[in-house]
Amino acid sequence: MKVCRSGGERMIDEFRLRILTESAKYDVSCSSSGSARSNTKNGLGNASFHGICHSFTPDGRCVSLLKILLTNDCVYHCRYCPNRAGEDVSRAIATPDEICELTVAFYKRNYIEGLFLSSAVYLTPDTTMDLLLLTVKKLRTEYAFNGYIHLKGIPHADPALVREAAKYADRMSYNVELPSEASLKLLAPQKTKESLLLPMRTLREETKANREDRSRRKARILPAGQTTQMIVGASPETDGQIMRLSEALYRKMGLKRVYYSAYLPVVRDSLLPDRGAGLLREHRLYQADWLLRFYGFTAEEIAPLDENLPEEYDPKCAWALRNPDFFPVEINRADLEALLRVPGIGNKGAYRILRARKYGNLSFEDLKKMRVVLKRAKHFITCCGKFYGAKDENQIKTLLALQDSGTEQLTFFGDAESGMSVLTGQL
Amino acid sequence: MTYYLTDGTSDGFYSAVFDAYADKEAFVTAKSRIQLSFGDRLVSVETIEEKAERVRKKLTLCDVHALDDLSILLRSSEDGTEQAAFLYIRELVHRGRPVKGRLAEPAVFDALDRIARVKEEAHRFTGFLRFTENSDGVLYAPFSPDHDILSLLVPHFLKRLPGIPFLIHDKKRHKIAVCDGKTYTFAVACDSATFVPSPEQEEWENLWKKYYRHVNVALRPHEKQMRGSMPVRYWKYLPEKNQRNSVPKIFK
Ligand code: SF4
Repeated sequence: MKVCRSGGERMIDEFRLRILTESAKYDVSCSSSGSARSNTKNGLGNASFHGICHSFTPDGRCVSLLKILLTNDCVYHCRYCPNRAGEDVSRAIATPDEICELTVAFYKRNYIEGLFLSSAVYLTPDTTMDLLLLTVKKLRTEYAFNGYIHLKGIPHADPALVREAAKYADRMSYNVELPSEASLKLLAPQKTKESLLLPMRTLREETKANREDRSRRKARILPAGQTTQMIVGASPETDGQIMRLSEALYRKMGLKRVYYSAYLPVVRDSLLPDRGAGLLREHRLYQADWLLRFYGFTAEEIAPLDENLPEEYDPKCAWALRNPDFFPVEINRADLEALLRVPGIGNKGAYRILRARKYGNLSFEDLKKMRVVLKRAKHFITCCGKFYGAKDENQIKTLLALQDSGTEQLTFFGDAESGMSVLTGQL
Repeated sequence: MTYYLTDGTSDGFYSAVFDAYADKEAFVTAKSRIQLSFGDRLVSVETIEEKAERVRKKLTLCDVHALDDLSILLRSSEDGTEQAAFLYIRELVHRGRPVKGRLAEPAVFDALDRIARVKEEAHRFTGFLRFTENSDGVLYAPFSPDHDILSLLVPHFLKRLPGIPFLIHDKKRHKIAVCDGKTYTFAVACDSATFVPSPEQEEWENLWKKYYRHVNVALRPHEKQMRGSMPVRYWKYLPEKNQRNSVPKIFK
């Protein structure tokens, strides 16, 4: 096994670009939003608050950031990973300057919104973190790059290095990898729970202190916060457990996003299932996550602890069917939170209703004119006291299950912010 | 139906509003996209600045944002744009105050819907525009948008590429934005000018194509999704979607 190094030139060659891209591409957080970084004098670029998709690949995913590994040469042995130590794969490493040049060249031509830099654990965690830090620092200072930077944190690295790196990144992420400590021990033995959660907490405290420090005009640390990712379906946890973990990560760690990645068997291993997890499951988890973040649902409401999300309906429908007493909701009086609980009514629909009803009561016809999607909603609302849905519960269930082809949920995820869920939309 | 034909400018449009306002049978449209049927009457609108100014003033009194909204709406190249704007104005003047929230009113909903589509295209092109570089470090991006969004895009790229001279070229409308890194102007694109990419340009473009190919998860194909998010009509100027090297040679 040979590690390919650069020949001294600053333009990375095709061969290494390929290895370092293919190793990075399963990381799903493509989002480049949530950061408004203004330009420093004479610098290149800014970060746009709403994410921007620069291209879409044939798998339906949005290309927003240059997603690349510094190296795929790893001393760790995570069982699900094709780059684990001892595997016979081509290894490559890029120099910090090569990464910087590539980022700037792509950015200037408007191919990308910024850089998503990650790495395998090369020699030691500190060596790796040091290289990552060097790269982002160079990019910001020497290359005067003001675009978006998402940096992956390396477990077990010196907290001082991690804190220093945070000064240059818009977003950092430590992946929890698996939804429970037991699974982590089994499948990623070198990554302990502490090695992932402690740096998350450190960064959380750093950013908090930084935000409160309004007195001096200090540069903001991690303006786009932290995210994490976990593999679903490689281990036995239920969706109920996963949702509770996500809820805790949002509440206690203040994460901006949790990404779910349906397990794909890229390598064979006796401890791993032979089959990948379905995309439908991943899709349902993203829908549930959305309810958690934006629609005021708790994990408890979304799924019982030992159960998975139902396949036949989206999680909001499922909740509505479990809670018939909450409905029907009167469109002309209900508050935002109640409107958002109606299956089929999303942010856009609820907002339209709130705006338009200021000018007078809305009829069912009015809702149609405003293109509020009523296919599912009509079973759960009244307009001026009138009900337009099906009478009997079983009929409703059948209708809802038939309608959930997944296409409508896609509007949930139509934004660049969640480009990955685009991938799950085919269901 | 009486057709009020404008010269396609914004002054022309507001002049037509002035002339047509009282006519219940009025249909306002730019000359270039009229579709007549039997029995229709034609009125050729004379563009008069003062008339247009009076209309603008009146609209501002009703809603301070009206002109901004309408200016985006009038960039739309969809059929019926001027008429949609006209009906929106009627609603606005009739109420005498902002009507944006009246979504159950078809004229309002339709106008806002069209505005949203123009804005969406502008947002898309903040991502889909592709620059080529020449040996002097000047960047050039040709594109062919559905709507007239060039001037909406320029401020975004001026912020993003400070100090870098760039050109953005709307091939459909033969308009070109010329930016020296600090300020910008618009010009009519001329046929004879050439843009010669630097030798490095091809190499970076090639790396980008390779990147695009390798970042795709081939195990999970979803072409329909790709086409939905990135319509085929936009592909012409995306190097990653053109296997031949798509290096622009000449301004059209
Ligand atoms: S640390 Fe684990 S997941 Fe990361 S490259 Fe190494 S083996 Fe793969």
